[in-house]
Parts: sequence; C-alpha cells; structure tokens
Amino acid sequence: MKVTLKVFRYNPETDQRPRYDIFHLEADPNDRVLDLLEKVKAEHDGSLAYRRSCAHGVCGSDGMRINGRNRLACKTLVKDVGTTIVVEPMLGLPVQKDLIVDMEPFFEAYRKVMPWFINNDPPPEKERLQTPEERARFDDTTKCILCACCTTSCPVFWADGSYFGPAAIVNAHRFIFDSRDQAAAERLSILAQEEGVWRCRTSFNCTEACPREIQITKAIAEVKRAIITGRLD
Amino acid sequence: MATKVRNVRPAVSSEARWWLWMRITGILMVVFVFPHVIIKDVIVGVHNIDLNYVAQVWANILWRVFDFLLLFTTFTHGMMGLRQVLMDYIHSATGRRTVTWVLGILWFVISLAGAIAIIGGVQQPGM
Repeated sequence: MKVTLKVFRYNPETDQRPRYDIFHLEADPNDRVLDLLEKVKAEHDGSLAYRRSCAHGVCGSDGMRINGRNRLACKTLVKDVGTTIVVEPMLGLPVQKDLIVDMEPFFEAYRKVMPWFINNDPPPEKERLQTPEERARFDDTTKCILCACCTTSCPVFWADGSYFGPAAIVNAHRFIFDSRDQAAAERLSILAQEEGVWRCRTSFNCTEACPREIQITKAIAEVKRAIITGRLD
Repeated sequence: MATKVRNVRPAVSSEARWWLWMRITGILMVVFVFPHVIIKDVIVGVHNIDLNYVAQVWANILWRVFDFLLLFTTFTHGMMGLRQVLMDYIHSATGRRTVTWVLGILWFVISLAGAIAIIGGVQQPGM
C-alpha cells in the first residue's frame, strides 16, 4: 500500500520556524510507524531526528504525536492509522530537533515524588513479605515506562509546565500504595502542594494516551482521596 | 486476605481545601438546582413566572433561604472554577495571590448584594 508520511521538522539552531516534510512510501499494512521513520532516515533523509531504543513498546523512547494522538511509534501499525500519517513531537515540552523533545522538565517532576522504595526498618533475612492482594493494590501503576505520552497529552500541563503531570503522580502512586513502603505521607505531602494533584481536571487524555493502558485518572483520584482522608486502603 | 488499611497524615495545603470546597459546592448545587429546575421550569413554567409569582413565593421565608443558598452555591462554585482556570495561565506566586484576592472580594461583594436583594424581597408597584 502507498502511504503519505508528513513529518514535523525543526532544528532550533538553523530554522526560523518548523516545517512539514512529506514522504511517499511503499508500506505493508502491518508495518509500524517506526518502520516508516527508519525507512525515511535510511533511504530519504538521514538528518531526520527521533528517539528509539528497544522498538518493542518497553523502553518508552519513541513517544510522539501520530495523527494528533500521543502514541509509541513502535506500537502503532500503519493499518490502524490510515494511509496519510502525520507525525509530530509531543506537546508541552521544548523541541530539541524534529521529533525529539527535551524530557528534563518531565523527569524533574518525576524525581520530586521520590520514585524509589523507602523503608527504614532493618532489612529482613529474606525478602519483605507482601500478600498477593497487597501487591495487586498498586499493580497497575507499576506498568509505567516513562514515555511521557500521558503528561504531554494533559491540557493542564500544556498551559502550566510546572504541574507535576500524570506520569509523576502514577509513579508516586506505585509507592504510596505499596504496603512495604514507609514514605507515603511525604509523597502525599509533595503531591498536595499547589502544583500537585489538585491541578488535574479529569479530562482523561492521559488514560486514553497511555500505551500501557494504565488507569491513570483513577490513580490520580486515589491519590487525591488519600490526601483528603489520610487513609491508604 | 484483604489489604490492611494504613493511616497517614500528609501536610494538607490550602489548594486541597479549595479542591474540597469545589466538590462540596458541586454536590450542594445538585441539591438546590434540581428542585429549582423541576418546580420553576417544569411544574410552573418559565412563562408563568412574573413579579407577582415571585412575591407570592418569597412571602415564605424558607423559599428566600432556598433561593439564596441556590445562588450562593452556584456562584461560589463558578468563581472557584474561574480561579482554577486562571491558575493554569498565571504562574507567578504574586499573580496567583492577586487573582485569588480579587476573585474573593468580587465573590463577597456580589454575594452580599444578592443576599440584600433577596432579604429585601419584592417591592410591588403601588404597595
């Protein structure tokens, strides 16, 4: 099948404004959008810049806007998006070149919620035990791959870049509801601040964008409830 | 075995209280707006509401209290919503504080004017 690929191009060092390059390609319906980008880079324009690493939906490097929706290029099949495909960088983060955005503001918010295990009790001889139910409580939010598809689909984040954003809250949720962790109060205090969970307007863009199908809006609501009630159940 | 409930005491900011009041006034709006819509728009009909009708209804103090609470909760909810939207676009601490105070004063003055109007009741011509 013939595919028209329209790619956002911008080099802040040389270009005054962004432009779109159009490539007419031969593709298989089961090709991924990443395959098309690889083809363009290998056969048409080697200067095209985008991130990719594992190419199997695990590393979260190739999050981008495909036909207006945040997706992973390596998990998006041509047959699912049609014969005219527009590829753009994610919104809300500064473009470094073409499809590459500066992820630092995203990771800065991520680091603020202390996304690591905290337990000051002396380590037991073996592992810290947990029931299957206790493990299941935060299972959904363990699936995050930090691709930023959720945070950069959030209209509040577009307007207010200092909002923590869905991904940081999801990763805080993963530890807040972990029965073995002891820093839930600190994390909830951080997320209770002005730029924390209260900025969420439950527009559900994040839940729709997540390539791992995490129930993000639900996780944010659970964090809000935990702050108000002081109960982790 | 169910998960054990843990209790924590996070530091709650003023933003949490704003959020909570948004929810409380939202629920109160449902309580006040639904009876209002059903009575005024469905049972009575908007075309049958005139000064005389309002005077009759407001002869009962409970209806005046009801109408005041209806306007108060919806207006409070709306003003807090406006503040929430403005916070998305105003990022400096001073700007946010100023907006909060300006909206707060506006909210108080308009609520007071509404309260005075409702307490004052209907002055029919020739009465």
